[in-house]
Amino acid sequence: MDISFKNVSYIYQPNTPFEHRALQNLSFDIKSGSYVAIVGHTGSGKSTLLQHLNGLLRPTDGQVQIGNFTLSPDEKLKNVMDLRKKVGVVFQYPEHQLFEETVAKDIGFGPKNFGEAEQEINKRLYEVIEAVQLPESLLERSPFDLSGGQMRRVAIAGVLAMAPEVLVLDEPTAGLDPRGQKDMMDMFYQLHKQKGLTTILVTHSMEDALRYADHVIILNKGTKYMEGTPLDVFTRKQELNEVQLDIPEIIEFLNKVEKRFAINLSYQGQSLAEVAQQVVEKLKGKNYE
Amino acid sequence: MSSFIEFKHVSFRYSEEQPWVLKDVNFKINVDEWVAIIGHNGSGKSTIAKLINGLLFPQEGQIIVDGIEVKQDTVWEIRQRVGMVFQNPDNQFVGTTVRDDVAFGLENRGIAREEMVTRINSSLASVSMNDFLLHEPHRLSGGQKQRVAIASVLAISPTVIILDEATAMLDPRGRAEIMETINAVKHERNLALVTITHDLTEIVQADRVIVMNNGKVWLESTPRNLFRQKDELQSIGLDIPFVAKFADELKQLDVPLNHQPLNHEELLEELWTYHSKM
Repeated sequence: MDISFKNVSYIYQPNTPFEHRALQNLSFDIKSGSYVAIVGHTGSGKSTLLQHLNGLLRPTDGQVQIGNFTLSPDEKLKNVMDLRKKVGVVFQYPEHQLFEETVAKDIGFGPKNFGEAEQEINKRLYEVIEAVQLPESLLERSPFDLSGGQMRRVAIAGVLAMAPEVLVLDEPTAGLDPRGQKDMMDMFYQLHKQKGLTTILVTHSMEDALRYADHVIILNKGTKYMEGTPLDVFTRKQELNEVQLDIPEIIEFLNKVEKRFAINLSYQGQSLAEVAQQVVEKLKGKNYE
Repeated sequence: MSSFIEFKHVSFRYSEEQPWVLKDVNFKINVDEWVAIIGHNGSGKSTIAKLINGLLFPQEGQIIVDGIEVKQDTVWEIRQRVGMVFQNPDNQFVGTTVRDDVAFGLENRGIAREEMVTRINSSLASVSMNDFLLHEPHRLSGGQKQRVAIASVLAISPTVIILDEATAMLDPRGRAEIMETINAVKHERNLALVTITHDLTEIVQADRVIVMNNGKVWLESTPRNLFRQKDELQSIGLDIPFVAKFADELKQLDVPLNHQPLNHEELLEELWTYHSKM
């Protein structure tokens, strides 16, 4: 589904001493089927933005368009349940929201709530546990007996079971160990490709944004600070540093190599092996000059 | 150096039906040492922290802190010596202001008022939060909250501080703040530090690393030696930082390295040496 924000502002507790402007005149477009990373510091407005995507919040000003759904300041969305079927949100630490007696019931809760037939729910159940790599043997276990990583997979399976077209991920790997993080991110990427999802990743990790996203939006103080392909955005070190964001470490290091040895390296998303080779060749070449 | 914390054949499980979380764990931590404990989710690293200050007790083996065995009837003596900072910055506050919050632990220990004021000021100064005395803790950023939590711990003058994934829920700026604070505190006060993490970039400055795997000590090493073991670490669900990965690629290309580099500067030095020898 295409998503667009047009001049969106959001104010918490307007006309009170606690008034807080979380989003300010924010505009951007997300094409159906793309993988977009939204990056910014705590307090930059990421969570507020995210809550518009499935109609938990309506803009104070401007308009949000998600497929055929329109969120506007004056009108409550009538078919908000339909929107929530299409936009699955994986919140931070989603395992905190598990509550059912068994893994199978927890995963089936969402689609059941949306009125899906038992047979359909059952069919999806097996699809989603395969997608999140949970063994069938866990289906009748209590979700609370599982490890942290497994609990998170159950929670994610519950979102996928609603068969969303848009998947919104809020720091999905926080608290996982390095292998858990990589497995989780690779899994989302596969789902993105296989199911043709529109994926929106809210993250602090420049590395993940660089590796997985095809478009990056940088937020600062509720406004759009920068936008572009990861390589576009992450080569603008100065601008990122101004809002205290770092560039991915590989780009940072290559910048230092270029300076120290007065050579030019171009980073186009190559693997680390290729980059190392390029550096070594350039250093060798430099000696003959 | 005398050992300050010692685990002797420690085994722990939550109940008899459940598998061992720790099995025959042995290690020592010295006074004035910074030890990082790393391991995958469920490897038992947080259980170690809880055993050190008597939040849990082992079924087998002994834990000695500052010459005292950790037991039900010694926990208060132990907790005078061991300060802990946990993962979630929102779960560690009791006071309505930063000052009250730091005062809480001192009041509990019946410290005299003048002494309390001195300790509150000096511990908040150690974490650079002395301008926030009257602020409400819940309105601070994640990094600031964790710094106040560290100050609260410092105020009781512990001889060891344990940070149990204290940076895991913070953004990169918050993480950097905490690492800076830890360094400053380590520099300024004579104490042992135990940092528990699975972020391998956070162990670079530690003196020693204990790697846990499935409830056992898998390896004890310096960060520098540890980072040579990419394949082994990956096989137990961990990883090496960027600098070590890059060094590894250079080795594959037959670039000789004098030392295992720990940071960008050392890696650049290695490249420089290689370049100037050609």
